[in-house]
Amino acid sequence: MKLVTAALAALVIILALGQEARAQTLDLTVNPLSFAYPSGDPDTMPNVSSPLITVTYRVRGNGKGAWHLAVRANGDLVSGPDSIPTTNTTWTGTFGSGTLTNSDQTIASGIGNVNPATTGNITFTLQNLWTYSAGTYTQTIVFTLSVP
Amino acid sequence: MRPGLRQLTRCGWLLMAALLAVAADTRAQNPLTQNEAVTFVVAAQAKLTLSLTTLTFPNADPDTVTTIQANEGPMTITASARFASGQGILTVLASDDLRSGMNTILVSALKWTASGSGFVGGTMSNSAAQTVAAWNTSGSYTGIVTFTLDNSWSYAIGNYGTTLTYTLSTP
Repeated sequence: MKLVTAALAALVIILALGQEARAQTLDLTVNPLSFAYPSGDPDTMPNVSSPLITVTYRVRGNGKGAWHLAVRANGDLVSGPDSIPTTNTTWTGTFGSGTLTNSDQTIASGIGNVNPATTGNITFTLQNLWTYSAGTYTQTIVFTLSVP
Repeated sequence: MRPGLRQLTRCGWLLMAALLAVAADTRAQNPLTQNEAVTFVVAAQAKLTLSLTTLTFPNADPDTVTTIQANEGPMTITASARFASGQGILTVLASDDLRSGMNTILVSALKWTASGSGFVGGTMSNSAAQTVAAWNTSGSYTGIVTFTLDNSWSYAIGNYGTTLTYTLSTP
């Protein structure tokens, strides 16, 4: 009987935890999920840009809490031993503009809920320099929606 | 433990496990992330620009002008190259000696000095390409090349000419 009581008590606690966690529901979608910068002659294309990327986010059950939408790169553009610094990339769009870095930069924030969902767009632009070594470079850009 | 109680206890544990999973799942949504995969292809590429396509050397008294400067002055060379590894090399090769009919001036009388990252001076040849510049990394490089022609009483009169071909090569 003690075991049953303990289990029921644990259930109550877990239910409470679950309820608290469920209280804040976040939705975040990015489209497209991948892109390739166009290649080109640096003299005629000193910068190359991504397609327009849409970022849709929604925050529910947040009460009067703060929320943040951030962007960062997981590292430099890398091709084997060669790399292109993340900071050679800038971003612009409905979230304003800035230089991409390897740490989170808040591009949107607020208090309370964002419901219905809001959609913004962002475009990344990379300096196209002669100094880059030939190769196929890859990078991951991370969008993060968070509440406290 | 009675069978009914045992079953109740088992149900309790199962429910607890399920709720734990749900709770963990909902907590995992904060922060919520989305990844964007980025690709950038940098192709091997080379580009060469010469500020002059013609060089002319004026007549001069060999006693007072032992080396003649080109009328056009220095030539600016811009060499741009992208490569993965190795070396980008700019060379020059003359098609022949300086010729005027049957008369010749050895093309080795044509020399140059250079300034700019990777650029070096040299003596023209029509048998082996001569290095004008070399670089170990991709980039756009500019050099200033100044030509001189050795003057000599031994040259027969005439209008002499040859063709210089510059080649930028990457690995």
